[in-house]
Amino acid sequence: MSPAPAAAVALPASVPGLGCPVVTAAAPSRDNRAKDRSRLFDERFLKTLEHLHMVARKVFSGNLRAERRTRKVGSGIEFADHRTYARGDDFRYIDWNLYGRLDRLLLRLFEEEEDLHIYILVDVSDSMSIGTPPKLHYAMQVGAALSYVGLANLDRVAIIPFSDRLLGRLPPSRGKNRIFRVFDFLRTCELGGQTQLAECMKAFVAQNKRRGLAVLISDFYDPDGFEQGLNTLRYNRFEPFVLQVYDQREASPDLHGDLTLVDCETGDAREVTVSKSLLEAYRREHDRYCAELEQFCTARATPFFRTHTGIPFDELVLKIFRAGGFLR
Amino acid sequence: MSLLTPISLALWSYIAIAAAALAVGAYIIKMRRRRFEVPFSKLWQRVMEQKDASALWKQLRRMLSLLLILLVLGLILFAALDPTLGATDRRARSVVVLLDASASMKATDGKPDAKASKASGAKASDAAGAEERDAETRLAHAQRRAKELIDSLGGGDLAMIIQVDGQATPLSRFSGDGPMLKKVIDGVTASDTPADLPRALGAAADALRDRQNPLIVLISDGAFPEAQLGLASFTAPTSGAAPDQAPAAPAAGATRWSDKNLATVDLSGIDVRYLPVGQRSDNAGIIAFNVRRYVANKAAYEVFIELQNFGSDPAQRRLTLYNGATAVDVRELTLAPGQRHREIYRELPGGEDNRLRATLRPVDGGTTDPFPLDDEAFALLPARKKQKVLLVTEDNLYLEGAVMVYDNIEPAKVTPAEYDANPAIAADFSVVIFDEHTPAQVPPPPAHLLYFHPDKDRSPVRVTGVIERPRITELDETHPVMRWVGLSDVNFDKSAVFAADRDRGEAVLASSVRQAIAVAKRDGGRKIVVFGFSLPAPGRQDATDLPLRVAFPLLLVNSLDYFAGDEVDLLTTYATGRRERVLLDGVQGSGEVQVTGPDGKRSTAPVLDGQATFYASRVGFHELTTTGAEPLRLELAANLASPGESDIAPASKLTLGGQALAAPEPFTVSRSRKLWIYFVLLAALLIGLEWITYHRRVTV
Repeated sequence: MSPAPAAAVALPASVPGLGCPVVTAAAPSRDNRAKDRSRLFDERFLKTLEHLHMVARKVFSGNLRAERRTRKVGSGIEFADHRTYARGDDFRYIDWNLYGRLDRLLLRLFEEEEDLHIYILVDVSDSMSIGTPPKLHYAMQVGAALSYVGLANLDRVAIIPFSDRLLGRLPPSRGKNRIFRVFDFLRTCELGGQTQLAECMKAFVAQNKRRGLAVLISDFYDPDGFEQGLNTLRYNRFEPFVLQVYDQREASPDLHGDLTLVDCETGDAREVTVSKSLLEAYRREHDRYCAELEQFCTARATPFFRTHTGIPFDELVLKIFRAGGFLR
Repeated sequence: MSLLTPISLALWSYIAIAAAALAVGAYIIKMRRRRFEVPFSKLWQRVMEQKDASALWKQLRRMLSLLLILLVLGLILFAALDPTLGATDRRARSVVVLLDASASMKATDGKPDAKASKASGAKASDAAGAEERDAETRLAHAQRRAKELIDSLGGGDLAMIIQVDGQATPLSRFSGDGPMLKKVIDGVTASDTPADLPRALGAAADALRDRQNPLIVLISDGAFPEAQLGLASFTAPTSGAAPDQAPAAPAAGATRWSDKNLATVDLSGIDVRYLPVGQRSDNAGIIAFNVRRYVANKAAYEVFIELQNFGSDPAQRRLTLYNGATAVDVRELTLAPGQRHREIYRELPGGEDNRLRATLRPVDGGTTDPFPLDDEAFALLPARKKQKVLLVTEDNLYLEGAVMVYDNIEPAKVTPAEYDANPAIAADFSVVIFDEHTPAQVPPPPAHLLYFHPDKDRSPVRVTGVIERPRITELDETHPVMRWVGLSDVNFDKSAVFAADRDRGEAVLASSVRQAIAVAKRDGGRKIVVFGFSLPAPGRQDATDLPLRVAFPLLLVNSLDYFAGDEVDLLTTYATGRRERVLLDGVQGSGEVQVTGPDGKRSTAPVLDGQATFYASRVGFHELTTTGAEPLRLELAANLASPGESDIAPASKLTLGGQALAAPEPFTVSRSRKLWIYFVLLAALLIGLEWITYHRRVTV
């Protein structure tokens, strides 16, 4: 399977939303808003999911159930490669024609067809609670939508929230009817903590031996960097699928005057006198950080999408479908 | 440039240093910062690392903000120093405007052009306007002149307004604020008192002391007594005076210090100018009005009225005397120019109202009197009280006969035995006379008591002994009881001697070689008179020949009048503009009384030793009310009663202290310009600039 090309989503800043929870300015505190997930997956959300599924089926018609091939070589029917015979191999797969021509015992390999495992890794750290609406809600909605499409395609979908560690796990399951378990899990999963991508990915690959698509939804605000975590997935033959979520106001904050900036995860405080030029420098730095992530993914043929919470999640999902890599 | 601040520069520098220190401190003290939560402070950290390279510029920008604020402070402080452009302008003057608000300024003789318009044969439609101009008082004219004067003030000129009437009242401080000064001028109202010019000149001279180019402008009709005009002195101005300064008094007119009267107002070095107002002088008015009851017959009274025609033409007037609202007498008089005429109304019967009023009106309805204030006068008839007197005596022909001659009382008689049997019998009497009897129970106040030879143990004044054949050697003729009484040749067989205690309000009326034999005292709300001797009567051994003397009925009448508070020398009519001492019957010690004027305005007057200091600024009836549980009410009448003030003939020229006062020249517009407003505006501009640059993050 060839990885989909990385694509940075450049969507208009204001797109009519579908299913975006409305958070008013007079909403309660950041933590409470993030923890209140009761209205995340309402009926309207379900309708949006069904619409996505229909669109997916129409756009990607011709795909068979569970026909997504893995890189696993096994007992399929489509030739994949040859390898040198080793003692103990099944004689039935020896390519006798090649033996006749080359006088070497080579074994025919076939791509094994099996159910695809999709791991939805959702960052639930404190930094994801920031934003209006909170990035966490957006990430969960996108995760739920992708899960639904995966479940509907009879893929095995697992949900794994993480911050500084893996915070529980929804075991892989398939079938559309399992979507409600996904909702329940996302509503009730533990939240909070610092972002430690490398540690979490290390634990993830250790716990999940079945390779598959690892959809990583996060803001990637890890003080230790995102590289090691993504590399861990790659080195362990998972197919990373990177979705960066950010809030427009954190990319372009509306601040001025003398402030004490406090990191919501580490609690580090920094006294800053915010001026127009400083804000401009910050915007540039934020863009640079995002560009670094995008460049990292693109260079490694890892699908990459960046979106802000102002874009309706269903549009993002459709973009993902159109860009390929998640479905085919 | 010069600085006009009244605060010393040293103090000002301290203020500047303190303000600068505060401003610098405010910049040093860190502002409490707002906390803001960010998702990823590492990004900010990177930005700040880049920005640290430009930290010096940032500090410099804050420094710029500080310098801007220090500049603003400097501008404000400098503005407060009141800088003026072009050094001290020598033409700038300190002007005291003496605005005459005495009674004569109530005269209505119109504007100067009123007569001219009449003379030119103005049409009927203009008549109303002419009348309106005629109705303008001298004070209104003076106020216009004063405002014109204020309008002509230069930028560096300062003016102060003093109202001149019976008192000198500064109405403003020295100010160059024209609208404020005009408002003060508009607020002046004429009083009903004569003017006290020396007092006003003294106040103006005091206010102008040590001020540059002092100037007094007197705006008046010039109706001042000659005596007042002489109480001022000028000395020659210094040789270095500016040419536009006050015209120098002639050297011959200068008064040497040794010749000066202590009451003289020293106006040396002060330019005094005079702005005359007023035209008419054809006034006739009441200059005296008084009334008294007859001593012998208090039911009747006598009225004295004095009139004068101050005009140059004969004046026909109708003089009407009212008792309350009832006209008692009407007379028509023709007063020759300058004639002073006296009218005495004798044996007028007592009316129900004690308020008397006299009016003087033109007989010819077409003519008007320009000065109505002196056309009406007020007087109060002393209260007439008929007392019920109870004699507690055995048959005493002398006492009963003397009492019965006084028709202001209603006498009754009981014997001592009858009184002792029923002391309540005296309840309805205002005076009880005990003759040779001292009961254990006396009627309660306010019944007044008169004793002849009281018992030693029950005497209201402590008896210390008995003196044989006393001769009256000391007599308090100032006491109402002893007024017009002579006792030096009266014989007494015997008399009790009293120990009068002044602290308890006991006054010795008569003594025999410092041994008191007659004492008067106040006991709460009543009065008591005690004589130590016995009156002759059947069966008495000790007696006196006093009943055979003229002094005896007089003594009794005096005592009864004293009890009634009906003292002959109690004045009820006063002149306005003078401070008078008014005896408050029954009031002791000090305090104050409330005075209600004829216009209903209330004020207070101090009371000292039972006498109130009364100052009337309005013509009419005043009421004095004491404070306390039983307030005492006393009515007084006030009249202008000032021939000098009624002579409203305006003086077009005034000579003060031997020097003729010139009219003020038009004020030169001073070159001096105040700069403080420009500095304050610049400071405000800089504050706005700082605010904008701060919020635009330019100076942060």
